[in-house]
Amino acid sequence: MTAADQSPDAHRPLEIADQIDEAALAEVMRVTPLGAGVLAGTAVALLVLGYLAIYLLVFLPRGPVG
Amino acid sequence: MTDRPVEIHEQRILGTELLWALGVGVLVAATLSVIVFTALTRDINPPSNVERIDPKTLHLSGEFAEHNLGTTVGPDGRVTARIIATQFMFVPRCIAVPSGRAVTLRFASPDVIHGLLITGTNVNTMVVPGFVAQVHTEFTRNEDLLMPCHEYCGLGHSEMWATVQVMPDDRFKPGPDGRVSCAQR
Repeated sequence: MTAADQSPDAHRPLEIADQIDEAALAEVMRVTPLGAGVLAGTAVALLVLGYLAIYLLVFLPRGPVG
Repeated sequence: MTDRPVEIHEQRILGTELLWALGVGVLVAATLSVIVFTALTRDINPPSNVERIDPKTLHLSGEFAEHNLGTTVGPDGRVTARIIATQFMFVPRCIAVPSGRAVTLRFASPDVIHGLLITGTNVNTMVVPGFVAQVHTEFTRNEDLLMPCHEYCGLGHSEMWATVQVMPDDRFKPGPDGRVSCAQR
């Protein structure tokens, strides 16, 4: 059992909602899409770079086909 | 706290999602444009020949009779190689082709579904009984290329392969009958 499990909050019923600070929520909502955009944008950019590398360095040099 | 800040944030999220959707739309359009551009300028397309042939009689007469198999150069200079893919070999086992010239490869199968690729090239097709598989291509390097069957066709599948011998154009000399065979090495 960890120290976190022994805290008073560990025995709180799950049904009780967290006390949400509206200002903190608004702040999180303001910055979250930016982080998601950077993460997803980086992932897609890597995917596109991989596609272009295979297309230009492998596919095209292998010659025409049809 | 009023609902107004929440509405503003939701609008920002919506704006971000619309921007993302626009970016994805641009990427999809760019990818499709690359495919179309390549097809129009580099002549790279998926082989899509639909031509029927009777698999029960293809070896008896016509285009895929034994004396017609292999590489031929037509009167117009077109190079065509005709190959039968059968359990568990390609006939002929070696196909001579020139480098730097357009080549048409035609395949037929009398028994089961086969497939093939030629290493180092974009040639890759299935050979389905009842149809002629046709691929247009151009070989660029003078070397022997492996052409294995890549569709499991039975117990001898792993032994089913042929060689594509790419020759320099000055050594690719058809005989009086227009046929070209692999050079002995």
